[in-house]
Amino acid sequence: MTDRQKHLLTLGVLIVLVAVSIFMIMPVSKSTKLGLDLKGGLSIIYVAKDTPGAPVTDAKMQQAEFVLRQRVDALGVAEPEIQREGARNIMVQLPGIKDPAKARAILGKPAVLQFAIVQDQYFAMSESQLNQLKKEGKPVLGPVLLTGDKVSSAKATFGGQVAAAPEVNLTFDNQGTVKFGQITAQNVKKRLAIVLDGQIITAPTIDEPIPDGKAVINGIKSIDEAKNIALVLNTGAIPVTLDVLQMDQVGATLGADALHAGVIAGIVGFALVAVYMLLYYQGLGLVTWLGLSIYSTLVWGMIAAIGRYYGWTLTLPGIAGLIISIGMAADSKIIIFERLKEEMRDKKTFRTAVDSGFWHGFRTSLDADLVTIFAAIVLFLIGIGPIKGFALTLIIGLLMDIVLMLMFTRPILGLLAQIWPVKSPAFLVRLGRMRGAVENV
Amino acid sequence: MFNFDFLGRKYIWYALSGFFILLSIFGMAFRGFNYSIDFKGGSASDVIFEKVVTVEQIRAVLDQQGLGDSKIQPIEHSNVGGIDTQASPNKGSEMLIRTRTLSQTQEQTLYNKLNQQFGIQDRQTKTVDATWGATITQRAIYALIATIVVLIIFITVRYEFKMSVAAVLSLVHDVLITAGIYALVGREVNPNMIAALLTILGFSLYDTIVVFHRIKDNSTNVVRTTYSAMANRSINQVLMRSINTSLVTLLPIVALLLFGGETLKDFAFAMMIGTIAGAYSSIFFASPIFVSWKEAEPYYKNLKRKYGSKETVAASSATATS
Repeated sequence: MTDRQKHLLTLGVLIVLVAVSIFMIMPVSKSTKLGLDLKGGLSIIYVAKDTPGAPVTDAKMQQAEFVLRQRVDALGVAEPEIQREGARNIMVQLPGIKDPAKARAILGKPAVLQFAIVQDQYFAMSESQLNQLKKEGKPVLGPVLLTGDKVSSAKATFGGQVAAAPEVNLTFDNQGTVKFGQITAQNVKKRLAIVLDGQIITAPTIDEPIPDGKAVINGIKSIDEAKNIALVLNTGAIPVTLDVLQMDQVGATLGADALHAGVIAGIVGFALVAVYMLLYYQGLGLVTWLGLSIYSTLVWGMIAAIGRYYGWTLTLPGIAGLIISIGMAADSKIIIFERLKEEMRDKKTFRTAVDSGFWHGFRTSLDADLVTIFAAIVLFLIGIGPIKGFALTLIIGLLMDIVLMLMFTRPILGLLAQIWPVKSPAFLVRLGRMRGAVENV
Repeated sequence: MFNFDFLGRKYIWYALSGFFILLSIFGMAFRGFNYSIDFKGGSASDVIFEKVVTVEQIRAVLDQQGLGDSKIQPIEHSNVGGIDTQASPNKGSEMLIRTRTLSQTQEQTLYNKLNQQFGIQDRQTKTVDATWGATITQRAIYALIATIVVLIIFITVRYEFKMSVAAVLSLVHDVLITAGIYALVGREVNPNMIAALLTILGFSLYDTIVVFHRIKDNSTNVVRTTYSAMANRSINQVLMRSINTSLVTLLPIVALLLFGGETLKDFAFAMMIGTIAGAYSSIFFASPIFVSWKEAEPYYKNLKRKYGSKETVAASSATATS
């Protein structure tokens, strides 16, 4: 195969890659998955805390993650992300969520449901009085007799004797049904407190034994709250105490503003680089334009593909990585062009200069790209939240830069050297001038 | 072509670098860093109000809520050359409100109050526990150490050990100066700035490697001249490229700085200082250090004795025109 055929073949492959990228990018509105800092949404990082007698274990963390996942599913958010980070952190990301306050309230609830008998001396008190005394540390309740893990389902309804009072209907599993039957049989005429996360919600008097495994929580203020209680009971208790370590709640308008600003910065950055390259390298500058356009298409295509197949989202720091890599892509062309000029100053023809100039320049650029890729990989592996996005786009940008040098710059320069009467001053005015200057010395 | 005597005046450059490093250390020691809530813990909200409000009006509401120690700062959107960076221009004010860590109820009460009085169009609220900062700092330090180790290995394998030490020293130089300027201008230090700082490690080496690559290429045959002369010629050969590269890298960063909105501006500011320092240090710091060290090797010491130390320029111009 002649060099020319090889170059044409390489360009052909590149065109296919560009086509694949465009296919990935289209339609624009759907292809690029935006992170919640651009789209609006809620991001929470929880940290599990040890409580006396209940250390954080891996099994508990797994269950906590499982429960959070179910609660998120129940909230009905599109494309949520729940991830364990390290030994004690769980990250929850809910893009485009409408009611972040509600989500926060439901997600973090431990949902520990307990049943206990109210001690006789407090029998006559209301629930709020009982809670007050319980807070003060008074022994209001007897030992915990039954817990929420024996509840097989919970349902929010309006009902009961008082019309339209919101309540939650509980159904116990087999074990729970037997236990609940025993408890109610042994404690007739006493009050049974139903305690959710340490708060006595209701404490009805047991009139007679209940053998069918059904219980009702009433005394709930609104149907929404009843629904929330049912939701957290259905998904089970979180077996560890979760504290909010970091929370970011982004409104849709501010997200759109950030995206808008990022896009403008990107376009301006691209334009500035393009103008500079044209002014400085003239004919070769035009080649750079084409190269940078292909570069951007490939990078974007790659990001869209990762988004499509791995659910990865583009965040604001990710955009910063992209914009910065434009400069690096232009830079690798500068390294090659400057080397080219140098070779030509040594009175080589364009054709021979292209061969040795490209490979010299390429090796320098490759080393330089690799060094930055290493730094970015470390950043990605150890990175903190959004910084991962920055590192990943930077890595993609640098890899594509290497691809572009081999698949675009090399064949284009090779072909130009063959088909273009490159001595033409119109193509390389700057170079001609410098060459003259050197010759005049 | 060019023929500047870079290496001959190395003490001037050392003095200049020394001055900036001292200034940076001074800045860090006496002014300290302005840490963001990610390090200290707290709540920060970016609020777009429907009406035009003043800092005083918001302060009054915060005082009522017992949050008198909060910081309020208006956000101006950049509008350079008629390009508005806001997607949805609003007529009200945008404010950044930083408070201590609020509970969910406190947060809701506060923003309900603000909403009633001034109308909140949209807001972004970030709440950070005070222990988060320790996590970030720890990870950043790990990242820093890991990066430096990987890079030293890479450069030692591809080039030589002395180059890797010089490159890493210049990297420390760049990171110190960037951090120092951050302290001096009092810009907020947040996780994005740390990401930028770690990227500067890569960038700074990128520049240094281009120079070292050329020195390595030219070092295969150093006869009848000194190592410094050869290195000086190498620097001159890649000078235009270095200038172009730094400019081209800076152009998108400047675009970020002008149009990028709050988050991207943070990135851009650190990257800008880092890029400039990186371009400077590869020629004026890393190269002289490496060359001085290299010339301590017996072979090159001998050459230096023979062909003199003051002839870097003369020798290089001789080779350039030959």
